[in-house]
Amino acid sequence: MHAELVQERGGAHTGAAIEMHGIGKRFPGVIALEEVDLVLARGKVHALMGENGAGKSTLIKIMAGVYGRDAGSINIGGREVALRNPREALAEGIKVVFQEIALISEFTVAENIFLERHPVGRAGSIDWKKIRAESAALFERIGFDVDPAARTGDLPVSQQQMVEIARALAHEARIVVMDEPTSSLTPNEVALLFKVIRRLTDLGIAVLYVTHKLDEVFEIADTVTVLRDGRHISTRPIGEHTHDTLIQDMIGRRIDNLFPRSRGHAKGDIALSVKGVSTDAKLDDVSFEVRAGEVLGFFGLMGAGRTELAKAIVGFDPIRAGTIEVAGRPLKPHDTRTGAGLGIGLLTEDRKGEGLMLELSVQQNMSLAALGAFSRAGFVDETREKAAVQGFVDRFRVRTPSLNQLIKNLSGGNQQKVLLARWLMRGLKVIVVDEPTRGIDVGAKSEIFALLDRLANEGLAVVMMTSEMPELLGLSDRIAVMAEGRITAVFDRDAATQENILNAAIA
Amino acid sequence: MTSESLSSTRKPGTAFGLFADRSQIVLIGILAALCIAISLAAPQFYSEANVIAILRQCALVLIVAAGMTMLLICGEVDLSVGASLAFVGCIGMDVINRTGSLTLGVLAALAFAGTVGLFNGIVATRLRVNSLIGTIATMMMLQGGVFLYTREAVQNHHHLPSFTGLGAGYIGPLPIPVIIAAIVFVVAFVALRYTTFGRYLYAVGASENAARLSGLRAERLKLIAFVVTGLLVGVAGMILASLMNAGQPTAGRGFELTVIAAVILGGTSLSGGRGTLIGTLLGVLVLKVIDNGIIILRWNQDLQMVVPGIVIILATWLDIVRRRADAR
Repeated sequence: MHAELVQERGGAHTGAAIEMHGIGKRFPGVIALEEVDLVLARGKVHALMGENGAGKSTLIKIMAGVYGRDAGSINIGGREVALRNPREALAEGIKVVFQEIALISEFTVAENIFLERHPVGRAGSIDWKKIRAESAALFERIGFDVDPAARTGDLPVSQQQMVEIARALAHEARIVVMDEPTSSLTPNEVALLFKVIRRLTDLGIAVLYVTHKLDEVFEIADTVTVLRDGRHISTRPIGEHTHDTLIQDMIGRRIDNLFPRSRGHAKGDIALSVKGVSTDAKLDDVSFEVRAGEVLGFFGLMGAGRTELAKAIVGFDPIRAGTIEVAGRPLKPHDTRTGAGLGIGLLTEDRKGEGLMLELSVQQNMSLAALGAFSRAGFVDETREKAAVQGFVDRFRVRTPSLNQLIKNLSGGNQQKVLLARWLMRGLKVIVVDEPTRGIDVGAKSEIFALLDRLANEGLAVVMMTSEMPELLGLSDRIAVMAEGRITAVFDRDAATQENILNAAIA
Repeated sequence: MTSESLSSTRKPGTAFGLFADRSQIVLIGILAALCIAISLAAPQFYSEANVIAILRQCALVLIVAAGMTMLLICGEVDLSVGASLAFVGCIGMDVINRTGSLTLGVLAALAFAGTVGLFNGIVATRLRVNSLIGTIATMMMLQGGVFLYTREAVQNHHHLPSFTGLGAGYIGPLPIPVIIAAIVFVVAFVALRYTTFGRYLYAVGASENAARLSGLRAERLKLIAFVVTGLLVGVAGMILASLMNAGQPTAGRGFELTVIAAVILGGTSLSGGRGTLIGTLLGVLVLKVIDNGIIILRWNQDLQMVVPGIVIILATWLDIVRRRADAR
């Protein structure tokens, strides 16, 4: 009730759901935000953009009450609010859906939604019936179909996100902040998310949409605010922006071509030959070949089996049938050691879970696969190791204060470069990259891209799994489309269009 | 995730640093404070006899703790070391009694303890039973099994002087167990710090998936760590049997906790990927100096369990404080 009062009062003054002015935040040694303004209008989608380190996360954490601010004012409905902790932010109707989902996976969907305020029945016991009924009603409101009694951990990430959004509504949130919500969603799921976002705005909720994906911003946002190096660069209606002006605002310079391509079409011998590979989990009779110097892009919707394929062909996961040959030599399935020895390696989509050793240094992370080459009789020659690591840090322009820096302190783009270097240091014939630019900002994306392009030019065979169309079309020489564990179509670069790719993916 | 990562440029090299690693400052401080406090109250603390006694006490723990450090670094743990220690003593003593050969006795002890390690390793890596659970089960089997093997202590019927020397002998001024522990320590230190094997253990503990994707045989590495720990229990078991001049089926109760406490006190992470042998050495020293202090100050001996408990919490908390300060 209190909440509604505030809303009315706010409405009487302006259409603003929240006004933040002159926000400043310092961390020891770093100015994270300086004089940042952000005003969110009710019923509108406001995009917040900027490269990693621009201050987006800090700003939304201040909104969420996770961080205190050192300067500036925050007004909600014409009234200054302190937002000293997450509880206060929630009480003011601000709900942040963080990138890393904060649900308890062992609980049911309904339990998660009502986690902070279980409705209590007689004798102080929790009213489960009511919880289930209210959850179902909430889902109805946002047009989202999931069983409230399902175990949350069993749901795909996309649906968990919807649960988080439903939770926001259950808290009567009037400001919903979404931090990179589509980073692990397929195109279909993104479409569903956008539908839900529009429902939210119809309900008069202000949505702050944090992302660095340009296409999405043009599709969903009404207004865009760009931050760079902790400063406010611009706030404009989306109609006044083009791709180029947005990128320019974000990185402070122009990128002429996001997907540079230096390669000709010279191809070498067959580097990877996959024949009739099937797995118990997903894959069904998958066959393809890749030549040295060629980029074969794999497209598919979520669950099409791209990641499963990637893991099978490098020897990480067991296979039920089929053969895999690297440069004519058979790979022993379910044995990454022989795989690496033959010269095939995977750049995983799950950087944190399968790629990085977060608590170890840049050097230890980078040299892991090639350590054997730097050692004699089992002893590591650290001088040589260090020299090689430094070489790759320079060549790939990895931005790190030192080789001893913990890898977790690097940005996503730099982490990805380190992981790429991990394989190249060892020397590969085939590299399998799975969503190589996930969670990476525009500038770094372009760099990773140029790197892959250069590597193919130098004769590496690249197998790229991606759900990003521009990436797929920009880099691939050929495109294979997967659906339900099978390859449904293969296109040459010139014959591939978004339409025929999507058609094959849905088939 | 971006802005706070800028601010928390933490001091690097937890796995690398050599002697004066920052993470050991707290422990060195505690150790120094203990030594000063005890010697003020009881000057005989610094007598040669007492120092030697402390070192001898440390030796047994350190030998097994060296293996346990490797295990924890690669993300596993072995709780059966205490039970295995007792069993090893009984078997070793029995075999020497029957054959009259110290060599055969030691070999039998090593074979048995190594097999226990191998078993633990197979349960953890092949059957994928969490090693916390798997090795508790092994501990139970060994504790029961030793009584199936012998109802009472296996006495020394062979009277081999070389056997007695294992625990009580000296080379120069140093007790033989201390020398053995020093050798074990140096070898393990070098292995962890300078070899690919050591680096791979850290990698497997830090992220098993990342290690596997990079072509490492994570399971085999863990198996080796289990077997090494087992073998070291074999060494320690023979020393203990020599010190007690008997194979005691009830020996070694709680030994696994002392070992793990020392390793954790030394800053090795239970979740894997982090830890140093220097830290473990300091951890062992702190625990044993406390033990010794309680004895020479004539405090109630039951405090030998209470005080280390307090110190472990204190040291871990101080380490968290230090890290937070480092992050600033």
